[in-house]
Amino acid sequence: MNPSHAKMHCEIFLLTTGLRTGKVLVLPGWDSEASMAQEFSRTTGSEPLLAAWIKWTMDFWDTMAQMGPGLDRVSEADGGSPPGDAWLSSLHLWQAFFSLLTEPGTVAAVFQGIRAPAEIVLRMAQAGWGGYFQLHRQWLEGWAGNGTPGETDDFAGLEREIFKICTDLYESDFRRLLNMPHLRLTGLTQERLNQATDKFNQFQAAMGEFISMLYLPVKKSLRAMTGVGGMGREENPPEDFKEYYKGWLKILEGHYMTLFQSAEYARTLVQTLTALQDFTMAKDALMAEAMEALSLPSRRDLDDLYREMYILKKSLKEISKKLDRTEPSQEPC
Amino acid sequence: MDRPKIPVNLILASLAADAEEAKHRLEKAKDVLLGPLDTDIGATPYDLVYQEDRVRLKYYRPETARLKTPLLLVHGLFNRETLLDLQPDRSIVLKLLQEGLEVYVVDWGSPTRRDQFLTLDDHINGYLDNIVDFIRHRHGVPKVSLMGVCLGGTFAVIYAALHPEKIRNLITTAAPTHFDTPKGLLHIWLKEIDVDRLVDAFGNLPGNLVNTAFLLMNPPRLFLDKYLGFLENMDSKEFVENFIRMEKWIFDSPDVPGETVRQLLKDLYQDNRLVHNQMELEGRRVDLSQITMPLLNIYGRYDHLVPPEACEVLTKSVGSRDCQDICLDTGHIGIYVSARFQKEIVPTIAAWLREREG
Repeated sequence: MNPSHAKMHCEIFLLTTGLRTGKVLVLPGWDSEASMAQEFSRTTGSEPLLAAWIKWTMDFWDTMAQMGPGLDRVSEADGGSPPGDAWLSSLHLWQAFFSLLTEPGTVAAVFQGIRAPAEIVLRMAQAGWGGYFQLHRQWLEGWAGNGTPGETDDFAGLEREIFKICTDLYESDFRRLLNMPHLRLTGLTQERLNQATDKFNQFQAAMGEFISMLYLPVKKSLRAMTGVGGMGREENPPEDFKEYYKGWLKILEGHYMTLFQSAEYARTLVQTLTALQDFTMAKDALMAEAMEALSLPSRRDLDDLYREMYILKKSLKEISKKLDRTEPSQEPC
Repeated sequence: MDRPKIPVNLILASLAADAEEAKHRLEKAKDVLLGPLDTDIGATPYDLVYQEDRVRLKYYRPETARLKTPLLLVHGLFNRETLLDLQPDRSIVLKLLQEGLEVYVVDWGSPTRRDQFLTLDDHINGYLDNIVDFIRHRHGVPKVSLMGVCLGGTFAVIYAALHPEKIRNLITTAAPTHFDTPKGLLHIWLKEIDVDRLVDAFGNLPGNLVNTAFLLMNPPRLFLDKYLGFLENMDSKEFVENFIRMEKWIFDSPDVPGETVRQLLKDLYQDNRLVHNQMELEGRRVDLSQITMPLLNIYGRYDHLVPPEACEVLTKSVGSRDCQDICLDTGHIGIYVSARFQKEIVPTIAAWLREREG
């Protein structure tokens, strides 16, 4: 990649990053370098390149939207949004963003040094905020009990699609990169580092699913409070907040007990614990290598030593007992 | 579509009404929290009379000893023995002393990585047996009374089965012996765990992990309600002191030696070997029919950690003809820290021991 290409990619990255966070970017030097940008675009032929990149990205998000067949089907019958709405809205946000980029003039505007980007930025920001507000609304509705994320959920099935899709995506793409065989010239350390990173990511994914599961009883209990005959309904208002709280707590405890006794919870718990163990072992292997490089004893070295000490000490105690001798440490303190 | 809502306005109105009261409470709480607080646990005076590696033995001397046979208390490895002496007015140890008993308490210490190879056999036939011998020798008695707390009770049962000639009376409190029950969450969860993988990964079972598991058994109470209760009562010095004492105890879970965990979880929680007389320690089979000494088995009806189903089988499985079950209307910790049950249970234990003193 020549420097011009590198610069172009860098600016695109900055642009997209800024827009994602809702900031209006000020790219130093761009205003004054507008003509340079035009020149840059003309000389490198980067417009087609950018257009191709945008198209590819749009296709990617389109594919992503279709990956979750369960996301857009569930529970639409009752008028609610499907459990994967949050996911879909994110995808739509990205699609909207990239489709905007492909509109006539947009690419050119990008390479005109963002001299007249106000409209683009505004529209992108609108798309971004729209998506954000949609997510926020769903979250609030979920808390209030009439949101869709939990309408059909139970402890066996629950919005796991999101985690599954993320995990599948990670497994099929990123993980393969991390587990790519290394040439020995790069040393084992890089391989160990990648393994630790991989295991850390897997642990994070498992932890995310576990925490999400722990949140479900809260959602269910709130729904129960606002359901038919619930203490929290407007026509049945609680006279005493403490009573309301106690009632909610009791329901919450009940939901937790149900969850904790479910096979699904046990499976997720074991999966999370296994991921933690894998990460711990991968981290230890990495540390052991680093310690070895520093000529320091690793945990494994110390463990070997501890084992030898344990065996020796045990033998000594047995001999001592046989000789009917009291050890010095058994003397009163 | 029906769209019920949480009556936030009512909640806010209620909160506003309480605001004045809360303000006064906060002012008082500030004085309490910034003032001198006595939050020590395990404050009853004792002598350290024996030590082997990290394991120590505490001796509590009564003003007047009324029983000849000393009582040895054994706590589990997953928490500290200070539960038995948490606060001055709710101390099992202190109340036993007031009943005229000479009390010994095992302090298992804080295992480090070098302790990871210590087995269940090392704890029971090693440390515990040496302690029992030490007490017998010190008091010139052939037998001691043994009282086990939680998994320490399971240890006591195993020890009594292997060394019945050294135990005069056996008392178990919230001690699981039957592990194949779906009533306790631990019993359900631990069935699924790959124990070898767990121990191989961590060496010792981290105390923080154990603590998290305990807290996860009832998140609404342990993560939320407990602290709301604290906020409501933090203007009371006594409440704050006792709350902090309990916090200290709860969050002070030591690491547990890996090899011991391996056998505990596999043989007990997964294979339920003890109650079927199939458990072995270094080739010695643990036969519950060898428990022929008097047995008092105490447990809580609402214990979510060690449910009654895990405890009540014991008296039917041992060889003793002098067995008694006492089921209290409380939970796991309530047996030891509830003022009501301390008043009830300690005199019961003391009377039960006196009757068998001979």
